[in-house]
Amino acid sequence: MKPVLDIRDLGVCFATPDGEVRAVNEFSLQIAPGECIGIVGESGAGKSQSFLAVMGLLPANAVVSGSARLGDQELLGADDAVLNSVRGVDLAMIFQDPMTSLTPHIRIGEQIAESVIRHRGASRDEARRRALELLQLVQVTDAERRLDQYPHELSGGMRQRVMIAIALACDPKMLIADEPTTALDVTIQAQILALLAQLKRERGMSMVLITHDLGVVAGVADRVAVMYGGRVVEQGPVSQILLAPRHPYTRALLASMPRIDEVGNEPLQAIAGQPPNPRRLPAGCAFHPRCQSVQTECREQRPTLLPEGERWLACHHPETREVSS
Amino acid sequence: MSEPLLSVRDLRVWFPVGDGLFKPKRSLRAVDGVNFELRAGEALGIVGESGCGKSTLARAILRLVPSSAGQIVWMGQRIEGWSSSRMRSLRSELQVVFQDPLASLDPRMTVGEIVAEPLRVHAPELDGNARRERVADILQRVGLSADVINRYPHEFSGGQCQRIGIARAMVLRPKLLVCDEPVSALDVSIQAQIVNLLADLKRDFGMSILFVSHNLAVVRKLCERVLVLYLGKPMELAPTAALYEAPRHPYTQGLLAAVPIPDPRLQPARLGTALGGELPSPLAPPSGCVFRTRCPRAVARCADEVPELEVVAGEHQVACLRWQE
Repeated sequence: MKPVLDIRDLGVCFATPDGEVRAVNEFSLQIAPGECIGIVGESGAGKSQSFLAVMGLLPANAVVSGSARLGDQELLGADDAVLNSVRGVDLAMIFQDPMTSLTPHIRIGEQIAESVIRHRGASRDEARRRALELLQLVQVTDAERRLDQYPHELSGGMRQRVMIAIALACDPKMLIADEPTTALDVTIQAQILALLAQLKRERGMSMVLITHDLGVVAGVADRVAVMYGGRVVEQGPVSQILLAPRHPYTRALLASMPRIDEVGNEPLQAIAGQPPNPRRLPAGCAFHPRCQSVQTECREQRPTLLPEGERWLACHHPETREVSS
Repeated sequence: MSEPLLSVRDLRVWFPVGDGLFKPKRSLRAVDGVNFELRAGEALGIVGESGCGKSTLARAILRLVPSSAGQIVWMGQRIEGWSSSRMRSLRSELQVVFQDPLASLDPRMTVGEIVAEPLRVHAPELDGNARRERVADILQRVGLSADVINRYPHEFSGGQCQRIGIARAMVLRPKLLVCDEPVSALDVSIQAQIVNLLADLKRDFGMSILFVSHNLAVVRKLCERVLVLYLGKPMELAPTAALYEAPRHPYTQGLLAAVPIPDPRLQPARLGTALGGELPSPLAPPSGCVFRTRCPRAVARCADEVPELEVVAGEHQVACLRWQE
């Protein structure tokens, strides 16, 4: 099936006074209709930058290369007129902090209606009705009253629901959710994730879920791409990646997370060192200074991302042991 | 049993809230009747959603916010009425680590000065050499090399800054370390390092820890007992194993069910069991049991009767009218 979003060889590079910083390298991903892909990694892994590049939202000092096609439309390098006809229509994005994404002095209803009026040419009354429908769709309690409220009158969870309502206003083919629940309490996170899973199921919408939490991915995503140092290091079906990870980083990341269902107080298997600075990436495999299975070639030669069944893997010495769980 | 290090008895922290010039003053009951004892060498987790009062409780115990009623008994002495100058004599025994590692360090001081400062104040009898020795010793103990002493906080990553903050708190060998969300701002792989460090320090120095966190998986790893708060009131207080394996309070059950597990076989079904609703306004808490508006098991009498903490078995206590049903 033709992918909704087809990203090939995406590169993002920032020109800074201290020289060039390569944030994303050789990033390729095809997202099928109705599919949810989780993008996992720590700070600086390049997960947000990849999709800000796709959305055309990077600052002026960013140099983007490669290709990202939404259907037949090339997005990278497209002019503002093209991007404005796509963003918020076929391709919508929500962010971590809903408070800074909403305009503080405009009522909720108007902020949702704005999108419908601009992109669908709806009248004000139609747009208001649509705004109400959307608020009900995202399960905002007391939706009628909320239309006339301001963002500060809503809780963080309600604001994120409003952001999702705005994103859904024009029935997008694809929703990019960048750490949508990171700022929320775990109870509210579970509600928002359940909502996203339901929207994906019922509307057949494709979704990219960017997160640092493998547990978040486990509940919603069909596939997952693990990023480290600006590159995808392992990618594949969520059950394979989470239950039988082969890249030492994926495995180490899983082992370092305390699990709520895990008995015992033996020490966590922390990953020594820290995520690499994109300005000074290690030679060879970016993970080699923290890797337990490091060998000489890992320090010298960068491993290529290669297919292996349904999985893609970039490692000279992948793990073969079964994961006990 | 020996005398507890710290006893908190019916502690209340109410903040006056002015609604306007002509409206009567109201009270925000941030902490409303909390009781617990902390033994020497024990780690107690304090958990709950944002706004449940967990940070305020920690700050009240540190006497950083005044308590409105109740007792704080430190090694047999009631300290809730002590003046700030009298409290200073206790500061060497009662130390704190905050959430934002960089913001809690003075940017103009070197790491050596930061870690030495508590010694200057609380151990003025030490000469320069002795002080340097203590600083080098504790820095090494928290996993930093001695050559960091001449560098400034901005040169360090979040995880290293948190180690510096822990070194500053530990240099006086406190009897109690209060940790307010100490790993929440850190990357996943770094969280594990800091959790392991705290566990090591606790074991080696025999200190107690009051661990305020919204991360229930981390609390399970580190703490012997857990106190669950909701709208300033204790819901459940139990040894860790009992709380996680056989939670009695519907709120504890809902909180635990909301924590994602990185297993795609289990997690999708867990999303469906999310606790509904959001924390009500602390200015207008529900009558009776404060949790009843979100409780899946609430009945009519939950609106009339305030549940008290009752003993389930041993040290396991729960505040729910229906826990036996």
